[in-house]
Amino acid sequence: MDQSDSIKVTINGADFQVAKGARLIDVCRDNRFDIPSFCYYADLALQASCRMCLVRIEKMPKLQTSCTIICTDGMVVTTQSEEIQKAQRSMLEFLLANHPLDCPVCDRGGECELQEQTFDWGNLEERFTEQKNYHPEKYLSPMVANDPQRCILCKRCTRVCDEWMGEQAIEAGNRGAHTVIGTYGGWLNCSQCGNCIEVCPTGTLLDGTYRHQARPWELNQNVSTCNFCSDGCQLSIGSRGTEVLRVVARDRYVNGLNGEFLCIKGRFGHPFIDHSERIRTPLIRHQKGGKLIPATWDEALSFAVRRLSEIKQTHGANSIGVLGSPRLTNEALYSLRKLATEAIGTENYGISDAFSLKPFFDNLGGPLATHRDIRYAKTIVLIGGEPEELQPLTGKQIRQAVRNGGAQLILINSVRIRLREQASQFIHLRPGSEDAAVLALANASDELLASRKMDVDAAEIEAARKAITDTQGDVIIMFGAELSGASQAVVAQMPYTLGGEDRRVLLHPLPLYNNSVGALDMMRDGKEGVELLRSESLRAMILAGTPLTNVAGDAGLIPNCEFIVLSELFLTAAGEYADVVFPAASYAEVDGTFTNNDGFVQRVRKAIEPLHQSKADWLIAAQLARELGVDFGFEMSASAVFREIGERVPSYSGLRYPLLKDESNPVQVKHAIAAQRELSNDFSTIRAAVEAMDETANKEQLTPEVGHELFKLGTLTEKVPQFHLLAAGNPKPESVLVSPLYQITVDGKLGKRAVA
Amino acid sequence: MTTELVNIQPLYQPVKMSGEMAVFSPEVEAEIDWHLAKYPSKRSAILPIMFIVQRERGYLDGPGVSYLANRLSLRITDIWEVATFYSMLHTKPIGQYHIQVCKTLSCKLLGADKITEQCSQKLGIKPGETTADGKFSLSLVECLGSCGTAPMFQVNFDFHENLTTEKVDQILDSLP
Repeated sequence: MDQSDSIKVTINGADFQVAKGARLIDVCRDNRFDIPSFCYYADLALQASCRMCLVRIEKMPKLQTSCTIICTDGMVVTTQSEEIQKAQRSMLEFLLANHPLDCPVCDRGGECELQEQTFDWGNLEERFTEQKNYHPEKYLSPMVANDPQRCILCKRCTRVCDEWMGEQAIEAGNRGAHTVIGTYGGWLNCSQCGNCIEVCPTGTLLDGTYRHQARPWELNQNVSTCNFCSDGCQLSIGSRGTEVLRVVARDRYVNGLNGEFLCIKGRFGHPFIDHSERIRTPLIRHQKGGKLIPATWDEALSFAVRRLSEIKQTHGANSIGVLGSPRLTNEALYSLRKLATEAIGTENYGISDAFSLKPFFDNLGGPLATHRDIRYAKTIVLIGGEPEELQPLTGKQIRQAVRNGGAQLILINSVRIRLREQASQFIHLRPGSEDAAVLALANASDELLASRKMDVDAAEIEAARKAITDTQGDVIIMFGAELSGASQAVVAQMPYTLGGEDRRVLLHPLPLYNNSVGALDMMRDGKEGVELLRSESLRAMILAGTPLTNVAGDAGLIPNCEFIVLSELFLTAAGEYADVVFPAASYAEVDGTFTNNDGFVQRVRKAIEPLHQSKADWLIAAQLARELGVDFGFEMSASAVFREIGERVPSYSGLRYPLLKDESNPVQVKHAIAAQRELSNDFSTIRAAVEAMDETANKEQLTPEVGHELFKLGTLTEKVPQFHLLAAGNPKPESVLVSPLYQITVDGKLGKRAVA
Repeated sequence: MTTELVNIQPLYQPVKMSGEMAVFSPEVEAEIDWHLAKYPSKRSAILPIMFIVQRERGYLDGPGVSYLANRLSLRITDIWEVATFYSMLHTKPIGQYHIQVCKTLSCKLLGADKITEQCSQKLGIKPGETTADGKFSLSLVECLGSCGTAPMFQVNFDFHENLTTEKVDQILDSLP
């Protein structure tokens, strides 16, 4: 720390040098002076309503709330004394005035902040003899259960809802002792992220899907990485025996790049793990058109290998394709690549990613932005994409950068997404003209053409470029899946073209899948997924995960192959044409790593043993290879696979599992930085595409509903009954006292079911 | 009969949000515009406009709330926060005469409970309720700033101070 901008603070008689502008409560806590608080939450607006963090500051008349005090030079603070303790005990008495004593049946019992403070500061006797407020427990939505009488009005949930999610779905109504947290009409129509549940210090807001299922001390909490979007949030999987009961991000269990933030999928999307439809045993289709018959692993492996060897002998190795899903771990994808190159010897391997970032990483001109960089950036440019729905953590960071950090957001989008409420400049384009925006930003001479095709004023593009080049500090450039390869290359070179003396330009792609970046790292020399899907020369395919039908709009030519090996969690559409199906283990059952869109490589940890007879994808690939006569030498350990990745993949060089141990300090992959190069070829490629664009199309004027992407039923999320209710428009049930699942049938049709 | 001297709080807002929006006459719209023009941000005009909507519709019903949210570019929840915070804003139908008995310290010490009891007996309703004919509503409110002349209650917008049993009878009987 620079001495010039540090100040001296005396706490309980000891002197500390702290940074200017530091908050007193943080300073005290960093120096091991424990200060209780409920309403203080880092990086949220101040509330100062719980009055638990009182301290005595010399020369100030009364006790002060340390959460609202910024340290000044020479401040003398006492955090522990008779007087302060008395005040804190009285405050807790107030908080407990309406709090029921139902800890034994409260889901938060055992990990409740109020409980802990009461043990430390509570009085044994209560002078409050009047009747307590009474409210029945109820549901606020399929996901969120609410017990208003436990509320201590810290308003963390309302602040999180407003500042993180920008939704203001939950607020405090009524007044005084009757204040309740809720929403108009008593039904939450929001993105159901459940962050209000996470930050609630008591049992007021509860996970409606995990309710009354377990006590926290029965659960094994394992830190892992989310397998839904590319933000790579760190979460903690709570499992008991072989069942996964809940997913939380509470800082007592995990402290990752996302803090306590999770979105609906991360928090509630886990029931697919032990769903009854999981494939239990290997399956073999002995002849085309026949049924899939359960088999043993040995039978299935040898059957697959026999057929693959036949095809290899008659048609050559290149007639066999290997296609991995970007949802798999790095280890699985590396293992698949090794299977393709070393055991089979084919050139036809790749990833089925709907949005391939290959051109971007080939031309990468600067480091990837981390989520922390986004939070403290000065200017954020978002071209296309919709982070709030597809990468919720990025959406939250953008919103906080604007609201709490004063950043400016330049939004270039064809859809009026909700982030435009935060945007300092919203450039509304014609659908599909995002490439024109990139061209206009990067090359001023094409401005007129581009603005005509985008149907915006050239002055707006001018203003956006000026805003970027006037920035002192970090500029983050994000882009969504709308960009073509040439545009990605141009964006990837922007650190050279738009960077400057006092300005860092950082890039932040918004890939679609949890391991899109890692998959690309593992299979950089592979082919595009679309190419493989449409390839007519392939006779056999090894599919790890269902090839994404949105890559080509359909499964391409894969079903025409003679022989198809599939490893999957569920019998998806690909199961209809697979000849051998291997049961794969889900992310909660394997050790591995995912690489997120910050380039952070983060551990996936085994929370439960693989269910039924499933095996990790990397192990399936290794066993296939062994049957083909090539021993990878991975034995049975994922760390051996990762060690080999650390030896052979340049950007991962030297990485080992022990280095990834600490989730609060993630390791960024060292992607090769390409040199600056002439972009005129890319410009002419984009220009040709832009010139062919339609000039008459109308702009999209509607603002999409919250959750239009989040609530879409995918292979994994359709296994969660609550998602069906949300996808059907989240109807309010007859009674909010009973779980909506008992009142509304989940079969796509919403009929009334007799209340159980 | 002894009544419990607490407001009966509605657990769930009785307002049904149907999505339809209230429509007001041009004169009322002009009045709302006049209030909006006074402030740099629309949000600041929420209270006066709420009173107008309440005056026109009797209470803040679903269409009224939708209108407010739309007109002020706020979320429904923001309206709910404000509407349930103030005792002069109503989210359910209210009687023609709204009797608001002060229950804070000075009035309580000088017999506000007796006044409440008496109103309750006379009108046959508990605090927080409305008579069947829709004429009277009774509620308990926090300090109305008339401590020097306690006990007191407020009927619609009029203060009645230094209340005694006779005075209460007389006031309630005189209301047409």
